[in-house]
Amino acid sequence: MATEACIEVRDLSIEYRTPAGWQRAVDRVSLEVRRGEVLGLVGESGSGKSTLAYQLLGYRPPNARCAGGSVLFGGVDVAALPVEALQKLRGNRISFVPQNPTTALNPAMTVADQIAEVLREHRKLDAEAIQVRIGELIGQVGLSEVPDVGGRYPHRLSGGQQQRIAIAMALACEPELIVLDEPTTGLDVTVQQQIVELLKTLRTTHGVSMVYVTHDLPLLSQIADRLAVLYRGALVEIGAAEQVFSRPRHDYTKALIAAVPLFRAAPERPVRRAPSETGLLSVSAVRIAYGGRRGLFGIGRAAGTEVVHGVDFSIGRDETVALIGESGSGKSTIARAICGLAPPGAGAIRYLDKVLAPRLEARPSSQRREIQYIFQNPDASLNPRMRVGEILSRPRDVFFGERSASVAARVDKALDDVRLPAEYAERFPHELSGGERQRVAIARALIAEPSLLLCDEVLSALDVSVQARVLELLRDLRARTGVSMLFISHDLGVVRSLADRVVVLFNGDLVEAGDTEEVFQRPRHPYTQRLLAAALVAHAPAAPVTEPHPMQTSA
Amino acid sequence: MAVEQILPPRRRQKRWAAFASAPGSFRIGLALLAVHLVLAAAGPWIAPFPQQQMMAGRPVAGPDLLHWFGTDQLGRDVFSRTLHGGWIVISLAVSGTLLGVALGSMIGLACGYVRGWVDELVMRIVEAVLSIPFLILALLAVSMAGPEYAGSPVLVALVVALIYTPRIARMARAAALEIVTRDYITAARLRGEPAFSVVRREMLPNATGVLLVEFAVRAGYAPVIIGTLGFLGFGLRPPSPEWGLMIAENRNLLTIQPWAVFGPGLMLSSLVIGLNFFTEGLARVLGRSPVRAN
Repeated sequence: MATEACIEVRDLSIEYRTPAGWQRAVDRVSLEVRRGEVLGLVGESGSGKSTLAYQLLGYRPPNARCAGGSVLFGGVDVAALPVEALQKLRGNRISFVPQNPTTALNPAMTVADQIAEVLREHRKLDAEAIQVRIGELIGQVGLSEVPDVGGRYPHRLSGGQQQRIAIAMALACEPELIVLDEPTTGLDVTVQQQIVELLKTLRTTHGVSMVYVTHDLPLLSQIADRLAVLYRGALVEIGAAEQVFSRPRHDYTKALIAAVPLFRAAPERPVRRAPSETGLLSVSAVRIAYGGRRGLFGIGRAAGTEVVHGVDFSIGRDETVALIGESGSGKSTIARAICGLAPPGAGAIRYLDKVLAPRLEARPSSQRREIQYIFQNPDASLNPRMRVGEILSRPRDVFFGERSASVAARVDKALDDVRLPAEYAERFPHELSGGERQRVAIARALIAEPSLLLCDEVLSALDVSVQARVLELLRDLRARTGVSMLFISHDLGVVRSLADRVVVLFNGDLVEAGDTEEVFQRPRHPYTQRLLAAALVAHAPAAPVTEPHPMQTSA
Repeated sequence: MAVEQILPPRRRQKRWAAFASAPGSFRIGLALLAVHLVLAAAGPWIAPFPQQQMMAGRPVAGPDLLHWFGTDQLGRDVFSRTLHGGWIVISLAVSGTLLGVALGSMIGLACGYVRGWVDELVMRIVEAVLSIPFLILALLAVSMAGPEYAGSPVLVALVVALIYTPRIARMARAAALEIVTRDYITAARLRGEPAFSVVRREMLPNATGVLLVEFAVRAGYAPVIIGTLGFLGFGLRPPSPEWGLMIAENRNLLTIQPWAVFGPGLMLSSLVIGLNFFTEGLARVLGRSPVRAN
């Protein structure tokens, strides 16, 4: 590999204007991307990695300014170029693949027209040459088998296909550098793997340099030659990928690597009662459809789209069952049916041998209390205008009729249960970090004294180092309170380290269920095998065989 | 090493910084409004004459040092009457708008939360009321109230509320539709909180930004409605020194003693301009306007 620099960042600082003055998002970062290499840019949200990546394209949001330094591309400082010169550069010699192709592709233009636009702008090709080039590009991103892909509008392609089109657009003018901003974050694990394979192929066939921005370390271990770790806008570590993974020098990098949920069996649970001896909840032959409605005055009926087709499983006392599967497989829908938000069309859900009413309104207060739901994103599930203390006291008021003095003690205890100081009761959610907010959401579920927690992707909105702490908290709570959990996740590493049993869903059907280790080691159904294989590839090189040391993060 | 999270600054600091960076028109509006509030509060005491004292000067006389806005047909001092009228206009505008915001936001938020046929029905009624021009609606309400309430300040405030309620209900419902998609509303539903409790505890605090701006914008136009009603003879009755009524009473003096009309007219327009500058700036400070500060 040539060691010549393709783009060079020197002492770059970028600041954002906030009501409280200028705040530094990127702090004197120097790095270079060599020709033909893939540089991974890692860091938590807010670490400045996207800001830095955008600056490689000469793009700064209107409320940002360059506070010093330069970005040299072919001897020109991109950071100081006028817009017209940048337009000649962008999409042509430096191109960009966005995080979310659904919003980045124009829904009103066919895919071929969108690729043609790039070519017309920069290459001045005639219509015939453009058609030929589009054909080539579609072949290169592996979409040639899809019939008439160029004539389709973006909504007729899947998420993975859309991302392939975005990559084709980036490749159209054979750029020297491609900046990829979390290109696989919104995709399912199997699709993510395909995109990474595609990028690897493109690198070898085209020799193009790439900057790959992500917070997903295991993924980078597959594709990146070198890694740059950003922490609070500063570059804390840069080096060859293997070296950073095996011998991280900076404490933050060590913490980050240790926090990745390892792909291995959980340590034996200290107290393990016999599973399902006394069933807590059983789901039998449940079918759930969305969008069905009755006609005027109840005459006529339109059937909706059925997303869960007859699923059976049960959860015992003190048992954690994980629901896994791709997005759209019906995991969340089942959880919503259990708590009464999505009434099933057929089948029954039994809780303590009593059939649960399909609709929430028809359930007694005790059932609503005992089954608690924890949402994916604490930013949305906590009322931003309520103080933490008030948020936590609502369930006591509604379920136990407790108010005023006695509640304050409860709230303190609940905060202590999730390892937050009692003073936090006076704070508003926006005065907490993401991990702390999710702890408050967990505390709100626990203060109702539930026997079943429905955890819907509770970790996926959190940064990786924070995930580990919240996961630790959930394990600890389970051990102390004996609460049962239905744990929904697409992160198989987390599932393996937490769940007693696993239920695998595929397109609304239950394809496999069994003890966690049994399923992970000897998957029977081909879909489970595929899912595990994709996850294994993503994790394998990243697993240093060291104990995850407890971090001193304030998650 | 301790990996700390950067916390956003406390809300109060942000608010103050936003106020400091508010546009110049906001400060002008604030100053105008402050002058009006002081005059409205102190007016009855600092006025040189009682507002109803006839023959305080020669009737239909132009401005002089003693009678700044001159006198009207009955020899009443126009300046004193204008000062006395301030608090009437402001308190009617504020109470009417406040009532409209209270009713409208409850209707709008509740409809946005319960949806279904209740929402359909209420919103169709709201739209039907909206389709009636506001002046005709006001006149209709005044005449339906009957002669015994004619000229009552309570009726005027109620008419302002009646005009504003459907408009604010629509805004509040639009805000509610965005708020109900949030998980904290689902969480409240899962707890089994009654609809009223969800609207009051969970939704109302999150709609305050929208409602505050809505209140300020509407309050800025309310003096015009009150003045119009007074001018047309459907608002307060003589001898009340309400500005619209004064303009109506003195309009036939326009050619001989224009200050009897200009005085209250000037006060009315500066109050409306001040309120509008203020609300526009407030909307920017609260981030509700597409044009951000700076």
